[in-house]
Amino acid sequence: MKHLLLLALLGISAASAAREPYDSTYEVRAASATLFRNVSVYTGDGRTLEPTDVLVSGGKIQRIGEQPVPADDIAVIEGEGRWLTPGIIDVHSHLGNYPSPAVPSTSDGNESVLPNTASVWAEHSVWPQDPQFALALAGGVTTLQILPGSANLFGGRGVTLKNVPARTVQGMKFPDAPQSLKMACGENPKRVYGQRILPPATRMGNVAGYRAAWAKAAEYRDKRAHADAEKRPERDIGLDTLASVLDGNILVHNHCYRADEMAVMIDVAKEFGYRITAFHHAVESYKVADLLAREGICSAMWADWWGFKLEAFDGVSQNVALVDQAGACAIVHSDSPIGIQRLNQEAAKALTAARRVGMDVSAGTAWQWISLNAARALGIAERTGSIEVGKAADVVLWNRDPLSVYAKADLVLIDGFTYFDREGRRPVSDFSLEHTAAGGGA
Amino acid sequence: MRAWIGLVCLLPGLATAEGIAIRAGKVHTVAEAGVLTDATILVLDGVVQAVGAGLPVPPGYTVVDAADAVVTPGLVAPYTRFGIQEIELEASTRDDAVVAYPLGPALDVADAFDDSSTLYAVNRRDGVTRAVVAPRPGNDPLAGWGALIRLSQSEQLADTRVAMFGTLATNEFSGGSTAAVFQRLREGLTNARRRAQRSVDSREYRYADSEALHALQQSGAPLVLEVHRSADIRRAVDLAETFSLRLIILGGSEAWKVADVLAAADVPVIIDGFANRPSGFDRLGARSDNAAMLHAAGVRVSFTSEETQNARWVRQIAGNAVAEGMPWEAALAAITAQPALTFGFPNGVGQIVEGGVADLVLWTGDPLEVTTWAERVMIDGVWQPMHSRQTRLYERYRSLDAEGLPYGYR
Repeated sequence: MKHLLLLALLGISAASAAREPYDSTYEVRAASATLFRNVSVYTGDGRTLEPTDVLVSGGKIQRIGEQPVPADDIAVIEGEGRWLTPGIIDVHSHLGNYPSPAVPSTSDGNESVLPNTASVWAEHSVWPQDPQFALALAGGVTTLQILPGSANLFGGRGVTLKNVPARTVQGMKFPDAPQSLKMACGENPKRVYGQRILPPATRMGNVAGYRAAWAKAAEYRDKRAHADAEKRPERDIGLDTLASVLDGNILVHNHCYRADEMAVMIDVAKEFGYRITAFHHAVESYKVADLLAREGICSAMWADWWGFKLEAFDGVSQNVALVDQAGACAIVHSDSPIGIQRLNQEAAKALTAARRVGMDVSAGTAWQWISLNAARALGIAERTGSIEVGKAADVVLWNRDPLSVYAKADLVLIDGFTYFDREGRRPVSDFSLEHTAAGGGA
Repeated sequence: MRAWIGLVCLLPGLATAEGIAIRAGKVHTVAEAGVLTDATILVLDGVVQAVGAGLPVPPGYTVVDAADAVVTPGLVAPYTRFGIQEIELEASTRDDAVVAYPLGPALDVADAFDDSSTLYAVNRRDGVTRAVVAPRPGNDPLAGWGALIRLSQSEQLADTRVAMFGTLATNEFSGGSTAAVFQRLREGLTNARRRAQRSVDSREYRYADSEALHALQQSGAPLVLEVHRSADIRRAVDLAETFSLRLIILGGSEAWKVADVLAAADVPVIIDGFANRPSGFDRLGARSDNAAMLHAAGVRVSFTSEETQNARWVRQIAGNAVAEGMPWEAALAAITAQPALTFGFPNGVGQIVEGGVADLVLWTGDPLEVTTWAERVMIDGVWQPMHSRQTRLYERYRSLDAEGLPYGYR
């Protein structure tokens, strides 16, 4: 990764650079410039634009605002009544790890054999032919983070993908996006291991497990940096992950429902000197939204999920808006192959719940919950997540206001290339060929 | 109609005290009267006394001005675990399936029904007024009897043994063959018809189960079978015909492939409109416009939500079906009148009709939109409270303020 940056600075094409193992092989596809004319816009950073023009070319957003009649080599899309938004970013997905069909031979999302599997990488379980990627694309999802499951205290590394059809996972990887570490609080680890009479069996056992691992990681990290190669420790793949967190190179995404457990996790992070980027599921963030704002921690939440487990029993439909209102980073996530197909509606529901109780929240803010704030939690906000000049042309053209249940994505562009056209080009996975309706089967 | 109202006015002691007149901008009756604008709904003694434009309001009636509201029948959720499952992942809160006891069709959810669940209020304030409570298959492909409930504050159980529930969705019950499940159903139904089976062998139907299957055939109550694969749907229709059963298909991911068969046999389907993924080899043909295709073929469609605690999702599911090509009116019917008609519930459940139960929802706009909400909800003629555990939690934490008493006192 460092090599790439250096080469880029020297003006040498990244494509010709030596590739580090596991690096992305994704390449921006050439596409003609496109002018979206007279489209309403949710910019993704909270603003809403009255009908205007947006020009994309070279994979980037080039200009925003009324344009003169363009040259012949620019495709013009009349937007009358239609809306342009940044592509939806889902910070919590298991597509490819828990694909369809959901059968034992495809179940690759939870290495639930040890409470600490910081050594595993979710990307090594991603099946690029999961038909669910195409369904998410039809719902306007351009970027998604695939996380390991939550059976373990340390579930392993997550990966950020571009939602493009590819033969390999490397071909989907978002270039130079930071990896993440999935951690899990609460019921899941203590249930999975407690049933086997192994630690952890309790929430205090969970915390003891985190602390023991971080203490070891801190020691490993120090020894790893020893000037004398002889004195460096034997390489440990799991500790590599934790040490990289302590070095600030891997972002912590922490599955945590209850407010009191979030406060404990913040103290664990402080004890060992790492930052928590986001609490996921975060059903009770509204109870400690002030603390989360102060600590600069995002909350990735559902609009209205609740009650499927006891730690989700205190869910309220205003959670997202209350977190936002407290000045903390609010994200609507899916954790679901169904929810990921309509995150625009989920954001709309969270907005509606706020308005129902008289909270003053704008529609533009609701879009931020599924774009720029999500990009921020993935460490890619400089490059995508909003419609701003110079950013990637990861955009969706909707047939109407996408905060309506009736809205459909007409076009989905990733780096300026049209990967989905409701009236034309749509990806079909290998698995779907002949089998499914999408694949031409009867 | 006017004569009846006149009669009511002559009997003030009976009628005028509790009467309610709702003046609504728009009323979707989901019945023959269709859509009415600037209409009045008269409610008395728990039932809709009259609905129509320009109806005079009898003296003594409380007038509710709902000129900006869209009124629909209360939503009817056709497949839930209300009252038999509080929290899915807490086994002690579940009474939805029998797994350690040889019991199948004889199970009756009414025997375990909890009238104090927190799920009622959460879903009620989002417009769900009635629901079918169904057991989950445990030891047997036939799970037992379901009940009809109202999501009121008390006396929720409205009717019992409204339908028998089962599944052909997997072969886990047979240990390896859906064919064996069919054989077991045929044998059980045949034996019940003969009433000769008295076996206590747990692999065959016990006396009580055989009695239940006999009662199913005698009563004409529907048999709701979860089945997804189109070939299995065909066979289920054949089985129902052989035994003269009223079949309802639940799930039906590939029902669109056999829409003509279902239409010809008038077999209704209850589907989760969000289930568009090829999530199993028995549903590789799943698609988003299943409901639209079924409706176009003349099949009666109702919508269910995957999760009982969010039975309220049915209106979002209906809205998505409209986006996939289902007519708006059919999608609204699929969460109101159609579930009631599918099960054969009497008294105008799921509709706004004269003499029918007064289950009404006043919406802020299009009831299938994600940008609207329920302003008021009426069940059996009674306005329902609009608070829930969730609204109480919201009130407690809406303002995070160190001043004053700790949160536990708020």
